[in-house]
Amino acid sequence: MVITYIITGALILLSLLIQGHSSFDVLRLAGVKPDILFVSIVYFSYSFGSFYGGVTGFLSGLLHDASSNSPLGLLAFPKMLLGFIIGMYGRSILKENILTITLLLFIASLAKGFITILFCYIFHKASLSDIITLILPESFYNALIAPPIFFLYDKIFKEALSRESY
Amino acid sequence: MDFIIKNKTIIAFISFTLFCIISLSVQSSLFTLSFEDAVGMFLMPFQKLYHNVQKGANIFWAGFTELGDLREELQRVRKKVQTYDNINDEFIVLKKENIRLRQILNLQDRISYDSFPATIISKDPDNWFRTIIINRGDNSCGIRKNMPVISFYEEEKIVFGKVIEVKGSVSRILPIISKDMKLGVMFQESHIPGLLTGSSLNSDLCIMDFISNSAKICFGDIIVTSGMGGIFPPGIQVGTVVKFFVIESKAFQRAIIKPIIDYSKIEEVFVINKEIDKELLELFKKEE
Repeated sequence: MVITYIITGALILLSLLIQGHSSFDVLRLAGVKPDILFVSIVYFSYSFGSFYGGVTGFLSGLLHDASSNSPLGLLAFPKMLLGFIIGMYGRSILKENILTITLLLFIASLAKGFITILFCYIFHKASLSDIITLILPESFYNALIAPPIFFLYDKIFKEALSRESY
Repeated sequence: MDFIIKNKTIIAFISFTLFCIISLSVQSSLFTLSFEDAVGMFLMPFQKLYHNVQKGANIFWAGFTELGDLREELQRVRKKVQTYDNINDEFIVLKKENIRLRQILNLQDRISYDSFPATIISKDPDNWFRTIIINRGDNSCGIRKNMPVISFYEEEKIVFGKVIEVKGSVSRILPIISKDMKLGVMFQESHIPGLLTGSSLNSDLCIMDFISNSAKICFGDIIVTSGMGGIFPPGIQVGTVVKFFVIESKAFQRAIIKPIIDYSKIEEVFVINKEIDKELLELFKKEE
């Protein structure tokens, strides 16, 4: 189990570094880039349950907040909340196939976007046009890249998943 | 103890939620700032390492792919150097003439500022904020908050953004395409002023607002810094007009500005060693 934690930490850190590097901007579509970190959190939550997903979401969200210009907690809260919620259903209910993963990521990304815009509105600043210009394209993009990332992570966490009897 | 283990998910959820809400409510408090600093310090070496690895890989790959391009580039640079030699001679003559004329007219000398070169090592990892991190801070060359940052495009100085945070050996830059940026600008030809801000979270365009209704705006007009605000020196190029709106019911016009540089491709920037005017800083503090 310790190895699973270490690999999870390494993947979170790597996702954050890749996503934050200036060369990642070449992947911008309609002005937005995909959120690999969030896709990873959804995977951990989906595969290892509510507690694991929630804690991973919270800690990686804090890292995300610290490396970004956002106030502490703004990006951590939606990740943590969705980590808990997705983990409640997980693999036992949502069987893994391309359609399920794509839909799961699309809906989760939409929910993350709406929670973030609500928090931005209360604690920072936001405009409703961000739904069209940012939340929707990012949700599509996350849904698009999710199946290959899930496939890759399935290979990495093969042993841990077999322990969880998936 | 059994109760905690049994209900660990609910307890963790409640604690994390409370942490987020409290930290958001007391933004910029000593705790949140030091926590962010500590996490930022933890991430910084990894950011630098990843940047260096990627740079090394690019240089290695470029060795195979860019040899042909380099030969052409060398030819172009040789021609350019010849042209610049001629320009330099003209420049020396003009500079002397300029100094003489300024003395005759009793004009003050233009202030020139030093600048520090810096490399972009990271950008905001999410789509909600658009800040940029450079590899220079107060440790390495005394960069301070609110210093202007520029870049070069075809040997012309172009506004990039301003320093908003300095942490050890890195600094955070707010580019002009960010919605949080407010920059005093004017038309290069007519000197009519306006206020520039980023247009949206997913666009690289800017909006120039509060332009007088009497101003005659044309497609392609060049926008430069006005020097008002005390951060940027005047006359640095910002962008060109791509669209403008005249709303009769409003007292001002609005224009869409396309920045001269492509923000996704810039790798090197220069921080100008100019601090915000003290009188203005005091005024801001009083207002706060």
